[in-house]
Amino acid sequence: MVSSALILTVVAISVPWLAAILVAVNHRQMRVIGFVASSVSVLASALLLRGAPVGESLYQALMVLFSCLALGATLVIPRRDCNPGAIGGILFVLGSTLLAYSTQNLLVLLVAWILSTIPFCSVHWLRAQSWRPQTALLLSSIALALAIAVIAANGHAISIGSLKGRSPGGMAAFGLLVVAVIFRKGICPAHAWVADAAEGGPAIPTALLLNGHFGALLVAKLIVPLFPNTARNLFPVLSYLAIATAVYVAIRALTENSPRRLLAFVALSQSACILAGLESRTSEGITGALVHWFVVTVSTMGLFGILRLLEVRFGENLTASRHLGLAEHAPRLAVFFVVFGLALVGLPGTLSFCSQDLLIHGTLASHPLTGLLLPIATAMNAVSVFRLFTRLFLGKRRTGFTLMADALPRERWILTAGVLFVVLGGLFPNVIVAQRSAEAETVEQAIRAPAPSHSESGVDQ
Amino acid sequence: MNFSQAMLVFVVLAPGMVFAVLALLWLLGWVPAERVLCRITRQTFSACVLALAVILWKLASTGDRAVVVMFGNWFAVGDYHFPLVLIADQLSLPFMGLTVVLSGLVGQFSATYLHRERGFPRFFLLLHLFAFGSLIAFAAGSFDLLVAGWEMVGITSVLLIAFFQQRPSPVENGLRVFAVYRACDIGLLVGVFAMHHWWGTASFATGLPQLTGTQDVIVCLLLLLAAAGKAAQVPFSGWLPRAMEGPTPSSAIFYGAISIHAGAYLLLRVQPMLAESRLASILVIVIGVITAIHGTIVGRASADAKTSLAYASLTQVGVVFVEIGIGWTWIAVAHILGHATVRTLQFLRAPSMLHDYHQMHSAMGGELSPTGSRLEDLFPKRAQLWLYRWALDRGHLDTILDRWVINPLMQLSKLFARLDGMGLDGPVRRPEEVAISMRPARQGGS
Repeated sequence: MVSSALILTVVAISVPWLAAILVAVNHRQMRVIGFVASSVSVLASALLLRGAPVGESLYQALMVLFSCLALGATLVIPRRDCNPGAIGGILFVLGSTLLAYSTQNLLVLLVAWILSTIPFCSVHWLRAQSWRPQTALLLSSIALALAIAVIAANGHAISIGSLKGRSPGGMAAFGLLVVAVIFRKGICPAHAWVADAAEGGPAIPTALLLNGHFGALLVAKLIVPLFPNTARNLFPVLSYLAIATAVYVAIRALTENSPRRLLAFVALSQSACILAGLESRTSEGITGALVHWFVVTVSTMGLFGILRLLEVRFGENLTASRHLGLAEHAPRLAVFFVVFGLALVGLPGTLSFCSQDLLIHGTLASHPLTGLLLPIATAMNAVSVFRLFTRLFLGKRRTGFTLMADALPRERWILTAGVLFVVLGGLFPNVIVAQRSAEAETVEQAIRAPAPSHSESGVDQ
Repeated sequence: MNFSQAMLVFVVLAPGMVFAVLALLWLLGWVPAERVLCRITRQTFSACVLALAVILWKLASTGDRAVVVMFGNWFAVGDYHFPLVLIADQLSLPFMGLTVVLSGLVGQFSATYLHRERGFPRFFLLLHLFAFGSLIAFAAGSFDLLVAGWEMVGITSVLLIAFFQQRPSPVENGLRVFAVYRACDIGLLVGVFAMHHWWGTASFATGLPQLTGTQDVIVCLLLLLAAAGKAAQVPFSGWLPRAMEGPTPSSAIFYGAISIHAGAYLLLRVQPMLAESRLASILVIVIGVITAIHGTIVGRASADAKTSLAYASLTQVGVVFVEIGIGWTWIAVAHILGHATVRTLQFLRAPSMLHDYHQMHSAMGGELSPTGSRLEDLFPKRAQLWLYRWALDRGHLDTILDRWVINPLMQLSKLFARLDGMGLDGPVRRPEEVAISMRPARQGGS
């Protein structure tokens, strides 16, 4: 008999895909179709989350979060961008990401991983004058495919549940998975593609792709549970790379003038902290990383959404090299921007204050010296975000801009919902922190678990 | 929760609630009238003053030393917890009283001063947020909560410096102040982490942490970094004249009264720990002395009233640091209360200073004759000239910061940009040459 969880999962994934096909065929009412399909995904994911046991609800919670983001994206996306490609792409990425979150099968994960990158391999979608995004996504997919091939070639099953703690494929599979994380997540030295994609691609769908956090997903879903013994010894290397990335791109953002690239750098720096927290091997650090995952996702989507709204109103040549004074035209968008921006970097009263607090404590406890770099990177990111805010919104109004509308009611309500999430989450963090804390204990136990016996581990194969 | 505890919670939460409700309504499309905002502000801070008076009366009548409200943990993960504790004791009550009284007065003053100003609602919203942040910082029973209030004060301060957003100068100066605040706040964050790590909690409602000698020195030095940044002590004094770009009422309450003394409050809070660490105490005194001398010399060469007042304020805060370093805690508290009150009055009168002088001259029947000798006359002519140039560049503090911290960081950023651009066919974006905010300020207030 088919379980209700499976039915709900199929509904959550297949409805957006079917809607994407419908949008491609029928070019009318695209926003409505996107809204309905995303709402169905939100509802199905919420029901899945409700039925999930405590401590094992991370992926269901991420499904709810990502569906909500897609729902918000279909509503916020400006009329100019509301074409079959964009709406269909959003729905396609939604279905693929939910598949990756929900699956317990390596092959299905690989399929979801590749599917989520397909829109970004299209020249029509990603207009970046750079070869780096496609190359990075391709290399990450190849690395993951090779890792799964190595695991399968060693005679292991391809169900994640049956591989836990067995280090399938040994060092080769572990190394390939780490390479996949580095390319997909944009860890130094493979970080530049993220900014290229953000600059060249459609802003809101690209933000959705980046906020799938497939790199962190691979760490939480495969690397930690499958390779606890190897991870215990070699994981710090990935952590150092993540901290180095956080600092590198934070410094890089200080002189960046392209708003999209700047936001991409700040988002990348903050999301690199997620990896550092996951590796900290302390319950504070891991919980902080999981909570931060939520915050970075919502804030980044909000920031990219607002930036796109500004671009369609005031032209696409916005720059942080001079003051544009847009707050005079769009005071509410300015407030939304500053709240999301500061929420990304630990403003008190927002959820990121709690997540940063936990992250910094966790990383400092496990790596006192390198951990010191995280607050420094966050401080630099805060300066960069505030610089972008001041350049875009403050200063004397440019005379070239005609008078444009501030946030429309449709945009205002969605952005207010996002602000309420980060603010109410910050005022009552225990609702989210307690859930993530239970999941963090599961992750921490997986890392700290004693190594399985030689015969069953397969490490030395 | 007894009556005093309820009053304490009310005092802390009232400005925050007003800010939250007004901000949410504004985001959803409502624009409040000036009269409504003024009335709400007046009533909020009057109620807060009354509530504080009730707490004081209760403490005096019962003989209790403090009112403590424990809400449990804001959040907890494993052994790590974030305690939500409010405390109104002999140290926090004067600061809380100062905050609500001066916020109310500044609100009342601004109703006329900022009448028909475009950012009128924004100013009042930020005033409430500032009061909320300050009250959290002063009433916090744990360093974790103090950090939250501390950061909120910083953000509000920066947004008010950039209040006149049409002009680039206040905006860029606001950014510079924000950068200095964030850099110095790293000390507070790491210091609080160190307390958690070594002591298990950062709550001081039941006493300060018992740390060993080295641990004590490390924590005190980290907190001193944060305090020095917030109080504009040397070498971070460069941001203070830039902060004068904000409207006069906000300059009065921030840099004449509350924000500038927040660093001193932090040191007063950890004074027993400071007393255990000779190195940290000496450093506090040295920083205070240098800042006081720096403030008095630079203030004499300042060309505008607000900047002169800011440096006079800096001088007094330097002296307060010395008092704290020596251990004269209650003298420092009395000094802060007196100084904050007088300086707020001076700031609020600054825009009409010329008018006041003209009135005085009219009453005297002519200009006042210069009296007494000036301190700088004690120095030889060459030294006077050198000191004058030194003061004009505000002790070269910004220049040093630019040359040794900001410029290398910018160069590194540009190097990274070039590395990122390698292998691309298209033109590599030119990174920002030198951020406007990083240029040293030559002109002070507005």
